[in-house]
Amino acid sequence: MFEPLISNNVVCHALEAMIFASVACSILGVIISRMSLSSIGFTMSHAAFAGAAIGMFLETNVQIAATLFSMGVAALIGPVSDKAKMAADATLGVLFAMSMAVAIFLISYMEYLGKGSSPGSLLYGDVISLYREEIYAMAAICLLTIAFVLAFYKEISVLMFNMKIAQAAGIRVKLVYYVLLFIIALSVALSLNIVGGLLIFVLLVTPASIAGQFCFSVKSMFIVAPLVALIVSGAGVWAGFWFTLPVVPLVALLLTGVFALSVMLSQKRRINKKML
Amino acid sequence: MSIIDLKGIYTAYEGGDKPVINDLSLRVERGEYVVVGGPNSAGKTTLLESINGLVRITHGSAIVCGLDLQSNADEVRRKVGYVIQNFYFDPFTPFTVEQVVMMGRFGRLGLLNRPKNDDYDAAEKAIRLVGIEDLAHKTIGTLSGGQQQKVMIAHNIAKEPEVLMLDEPFSNLDFHAREYLQCIFRDIVRSGTPILMVAHAFDGLPEIRIHLIVMNRGRISLDAFCEASEVESIIRTECVW
Repeated sequence: MFEPLISNNVVCHALEAMIFASVACSILGVIISRMSLSSIGFTMSHAAFAGAAIGMFLETNVQIAATLFSMGVAALIGPVSDKAKMAADATLGVLFAMSMAVAIFLISYMEYLGKGSSPGSLLYGDVISLYREEIYAMAAICLLTIAFVLAFYKEISVLMFNMKIAQAAGIRVKLVYYVLLFIIALSVALSLNIVGGLLIFVLLVTPASIAGQFCFSVKSMFIVAPLVALIVSGAGVWAGFWFTLPVVPLVALLLTGVFALSVMLSQKRRINKKML
Repeated sequence: MSIIDLKGIYTAYEGGDKPVINDLSLRVERGEYVVVGGPNSAGKTTLLESINGLVRITHGSAIVCGLDLQSNADEVRRKVGYVIQNFYFDPFTPFTVEQVVMMGRFGRLGLLNRPKNDDYDAAEKAIRLVGIEDLAHKTIGTLSGGQQQKVMIAHNIAKEPEVLMLDEPFSNLDFHAREYLQCIFRDIVRSGTPILMVAHAFDGLPEIRIHLIVMNRGRISLDAFCEASEVESIIRTECVW
């Protein structure tokens, strides 16, 4: 996408990957933060991490294993919460712990056996050594996320407003919720190689929280959150390569800085002095 | 055919030691104003939530709006308006009043369909009817409890339901607002749409024939018709406190 503008292939790939990952995750972040499901971010990232560990252990494609395992966990969250009559957050906590246990178990066992590669890239991401196919897959997920929000906008907006009112209004809550879980699983699994399991949470939560400081409508949140993520990711990639700094942690720190600034400057927290 | 026809229904919550609704039968016809009274934990809210399929009926048969509730819960919810009892919207809730009222139309639109002029007209009409035009562009989280309650009533009126169910709709409202809304409910009933209302205060009921249901311990202990002025005294006598 940026090849005509950026001659360095590594920088170009890193920029493209970060843009697609940050746009997809920040759009999903708007939904999950309003639905108080932020813990879905770390549950899915650890599910993808566990899937990748299984892939390493079985010596198969790590990306495919991560995607399949995440989708398996996504398929469990909804039905387990419904069946157990538990809040989704409790189910997420249980599945998070299970995923982490699977990952640690397999990585420790592989170390004991002396096989497999280091899981470091899965934890911290490796934005400078990506294959073209990985960027294409991330671009596809980014488009799928945008298409999902556009197609189901009215259903998503009622779900974000209040789950019970959505049900009472006759919205097909389960269908939309389960599709949402699958798209989150895909986005997180495919972002694992790019931003890593530990920092994916930043892309899911921080841009949406920044948008929440200024936006008075959901529509504007869906525009502002990916825009902020896109600008900060672009700046992070540029600064990372220019000053030879690790790109993904730099993006995470920049986003955190912008969040702090947005809280300080937020109009929503100001009281109109004319009223006093 | 009755718009609501419940025959010997039971509803139980998982982990509960007895059914919350216990062998309950009820028929509601078009144009009826049904008041459901009874002490706390009599099963009044559960009855409403059973009728629109939010709570599963474990035994018995339930026909609502001509549909078998057990196999058509989603479809029934699109036809039944339900103002829930407890809601809280935080001050940062990014939805305006007109957006929330419009959401009432979304269920009947179905997946992937966009709202049309008819839908916008219905939402606008509901806002005008409830008298919240001045709040239309405000975000719902910044409103008082009473104003939020009016918005949720408008949300359900915009739905143009075949049955309107209200769970303590006046709990946050002042006397003037209660009287005003009761007039709207009377007109809705006169247009043929039945109303089922759970309430603890009965002042300002419209001067029309009331179908009174008194519930005690998950059962209907009284199913009768009376005048609005008699409702409170009958409930006081019939309730097992």
